[in-house]
Amino acid sequence: MAFDIPTRTEDLPTDAPRFIGKTVNRIEDPALVSGTVEFIDNLSLPGMLHCAILRSPHPHARITRIDASAALALPGVEAVLTGEDVARWCDPCFTAPEGWGNYCLAVGKVRFVGEPVVAVAASSRYVAEDALELIQVDYALLDAVANPDEAMAPGAPVVFEERRTNVIQSRTYTWGEVDRVFAAADRIVSRQFRWNRVGANPTETFGCICQWDLADNSLICRGAYQTPRFMAIGRAASLRLPANKVKVVSHAQGGGFGGKGGPRGTDIAALLSRKSGGRPVKYIEDRMEYLLAGGGQSWDRYYDAALAVKADGTVTGFKVRLVDDQGAGAEGYGTISAAKPLAAFTGNYRIEAAFYDLTLVATNRAPTYPYRGYGPPPHNLVLESLMDVAARELALDPAELRRRNYIRPEQFPYTVPSGNEYDSGNYAAVLDRVLELADYRALRETQAQARAEGRLVGIGVVSTVEPGVFDWNAYATVGVPGVGVPEGVKVAVDVFGNVTVAVGFNLQGQGQFTVAAQVVADYLGVDMNSVKVTTASTDVALPHFGQGGSRLGVAVTGAILGACDKLRQTFCRVVAHVMHTDPEQIELFNGRLRMKQAPEHGMSIAEVAGLMLSRSDLLPPGVEPCPEATFVWVSPNRNQPDDQGRCRSYLTAAAATHVVQVEIDRDTGQVKILGYYIVDDCGTRLNPASVEGQLQGGVAQGVGAALYEEYVYDAQCQPLVSTFVDYLVPTIHEVPMTVKDHLVTPSPVAPLGAKGCGEGAIHTTPAALLCAINDALAPLGLECRETPASPQRLWKLLHDQA
Amino acid sequence: MKPAPFDYHAPTSLAEAVALLARLDDEGCDAKILAGGQSLMPMLAMRVARPEALVDLRRVPGLDAIRLQDGYIAIGAMASKRAAELSELVREKQPLFHAATRLVGHQQIRNRGSVGGSFAHADPASEYPAVALILDMQMVATGPDGERVIPADEFFVTYMTTALEAGEILTEVRMPVLPTGSGWAIQEITRRNGDLALAGVALTLRLEAGRCTDARIAAFGVDATAVRLTAAEDSLRGAVPNSESFARAGATAAASLGDPMSCIHASADYRRHLVGTLVERALAEAAARAR
Repeated sequence: MAFDIPTRTEDLPTDAPRFIGKTVNRIEDPALVSGTVEFIDNLSLPGMLHCAILRSPHPHARITRIDASAALALPGVEAVLTGEDVARWCDPCFTAPEGWGNYCLAVGKVRFVGEPVVAVAASSRYVAEDALELIQVDYALLDAVANPDEAMAPGAPVVFEERRTNVIQSRTYTWGEVDRVFAAADRIVSRQFRWNRVGANPTETFGCICQWDLADNSLICRGAYQTPRFMAIGRAASLRLPANKVKVVSHAQGGGFGGKGGPRGTDIAALLSRKSGGRPVKYIEDRMEYLLAGGGQSWDRYYDAALAVKADGTVTGFKVRLVDDQGAGAEGYGTISAAKPLAAFTGNYRIEAAFYDLTLVATNRAPTYPYRGYGPPPHNLVLESLMDVAARELALDPAELRRRNYIRPEQFPYTVPSGNEYDSGNYAAVLDRVLELADYRALRETQAQARAEGRLVGIGVVSTVEPGVFDWNAYATVGVPGVGVPEGVKVAVDVFGNVTVAVGFNLQGQGQFTVAAQVVADYLGVDMNSVKVTTASTDVALPHFGQGGSRLGVAVTGAILGACDKLRQTFCRVVAHVMHTDPEQIELFNGRLRMKQAPEHGMSIAEVAGLMLSRSDLLPPGVEPCPEATFVWVSPNRNQPDDQGRCRSYLTAAAATHVVQVEIDRDTGQVKILGYYIVDDCGTRLNPASVEGQLQGGVAQGVGAALYEEYVYDAQCQPLVSTFVDYLVPTIHEVPMTVKDHLVTPSPVAPLGAKGCGEGAIHTTPAALLCAINDALAPLGLECRETPASPQRLWKLLHDQA
Repeated sequence: MKPAPFDYHAPTSLAEAVALLARLDDEGCDAKILAGGQSLMPMLAMRVARPEALVDLRRVPGLDAIRLQDGYIAIGAMASKRAAELSELVREKQPLFHAATRLVGHQQIRNRGSVGGSFAHADPASEYPAVALILDMQMVATGPDGERVIPADEFFVTYMTTALEAGEILTEVRMPVLPTGSGWAIQEITRRNGDLALAGVALTLRLEAGRCTDARIAAFGVDATAVRLTAAEDSLRGAVPNSESFARAGATAAASLGDPMSCIHASADYRRHLVGTLVERALAEAAARAR
């Protein structure tokens, strides 16, 4: 059977889509706003114990003795887990590249502050935390490496002794004739940048309930799992269980953004269950644990970068040297973030050659994890800041410099030097629209007036490409194998014509259940109200990945269209049989299976399903009584990378330009955002309100990274941020409500022409704000090249000059 | 993040509460009074505070009145900050205290947080102690021997420490009605809306015949307690209220600070500079109000 995944909404079997492309109410929301969603902390199981974890107060130390006898004697304590148990029962977690991982509890030594050392299961979390205070751990302190410079110094202490170095990976990528274009450049602009550590902070931290069935030697993990199948495979490996004996039940999550770590907490809770005779053990990570050593730290980067520019503003080359502080190992896949920029290394521009010198370093900071956007937010800050420097040096308007270098609409599909293929776009049209929306000329006029009054007002105009629908091949060079990330669904029609869509992921906030319902309702011609979207646990779910890499809206759409097409073909056979004609004579249109030649003759979806389930005597030979279909979608046409990492990785390329105007208070260093304008183009907007939500949320996180958030460590590698008093997530007061518009350049290759759109705003906002800040500082000859551009940092720049 | 074990008491009268505190003190029990819980509860959860007993004042009647009495405004210690914020009396008669209240946290915090709790907690970044100093507020403490009135400049001892004795409950705070024609202002620098201040300044200003006759200025968020900036006050006495005298007062204020606190968000130098800027700006704001 061949399957037809339409790339245009016009190809849906309906005269006009009723739901796709419309701002429909999200089907997730009634349960969310009424509080009936079962988040993991709302769930209690009979006999359940509660886990608390004693964590290392030292960045680097050998564990010389653990005495937990007093804790074990405390009434209510059922089990205590130490590195000794873990070394006996477990393997270190998966990492990329391989061999840079820790055990779930420290074995022999600790490598970062907050690393789990001992865990307790008790009758309540209160008792469990009381028990932690009774545990004695003796440490022999080791010198810590607090940053990459220290870590790479000769004779430096080694975080993973068996590796004999702290350099996880160091390599270069050369794309095109880099030396030639730099030699031929009229001007080379170069700068260094420091992007300080930030990361995801979902409203709900990680949590799970694990139960080890000692008779069956199997494990059930219920929890806030973002990528359940991936998690199940990882747990099977680290806990030495057959993969089919690990069942992961993904509960709805209060946000994710890549920060929902989970492997350590899951393994610890699972082993405590095993040690306490198979009782379920709940572990709820609290916010201090999360901030200290959860999955919320990312992108700790030192950049040295250069652009080769011609006198007419043509940018011909881009060189980036990145030293990335991964923290204590690669358990969080922070390495992947450094490889992601390959998917759009040269942004929106026709830059012909590029060079990437990438060094990933282990230190005694907490391990880094993915964060929404993966690597591009800092990378785009570097590229776009250099574009602004070039514009300033050439006395060109920054918008004009970008326009001159954009990939032109007729050049798509366009292969960038780093190998990925952009599917479609019209970057100049996006720029034109946002300049109009922002009234750019007026912004420049108000800036000129402000400058005349001695005020520091600046404007950022920043363009980015958002690679959408990730594939493993993008990360092959940091040790992730494979091509093709599956997303599987089952679409089932019941005897009354209701439709159930079983997916492998659960709610996380983006609204994919709604998109699923929109697509199935438009394809099968039913109401969204009659569609139920449900999450299958990993033991029965089809191959899937879930949220991540701006892919799920597109991927689940593709999967549903594939399953619906299978259903359509089966339905046509059934209807043809009862109508005594050929299947080719039957078509699905507006929810009816009808005769092409005589459309008034036909059956509804409900009638066909009912017939299939209740009249086996009327079924054609070879058709099962099962109005259900499964489909596992992967991005079409992906390939293996070459030795320079070049491949068709991300399927879609959305684009956006942000225009922002800021004012810096000279006396306090505070930045005020005066206006924020966005025009984006992510192809077909399946649910426009969800796209807008993605944009606004991404802006919020971008504002955080650019102006507020920072995981600060002192020179001894002690974290100085452990609560939201010091880790400054911006609130509704700090984040501007952006003025938005959009263009639609559909993807010619993705289902219904939709492009991934979950990360574009966070890709763009930090660069836009820093460019605006530096535009404001330009008359003083000052530049801020470090994030966040906090009041103290800007004040110091201004003050030191004065 | 769960508290260590503690005994919980919820007395239903002031007399019972005072007697209970006396008994606990006699027994050598480390007891802590729970009011709105906006600071204490997180400290308990983080086990930074580990009292053996909590005495919750929630059920004690009569501690939440806001009234005008003998020419001053009296606010019961258990009145919520939101109640003070919504009080016509406070807004009209003591606008500086009203403005300070609105700077405390967010509305949700002001709904639960008590006025008295902030005074008893004595956080150096809190707005109230600075306002208390420049308004000469009085704190009413009730103990086994009855009521005792403590002036503001004796009440705040050092970092999160007050003159309250172990057996005493702060039951009321009193403040004068702001004299007609007085200028006032409170300004602070926070990282985010509602955060604790990196630095803040509260002040009152009297002008007569085109001259400053009196200025009372205090800074918060820079030292272990709120501090009166007397050198800056002195620099204004008799001065013409203009940008020059205000800038001079700001510079004087900044220079007069001892050794400002330092944290990851604000170095001592930055804090010192902010105080100067805030004094200058707040004076301009206050002067515009003064008649």
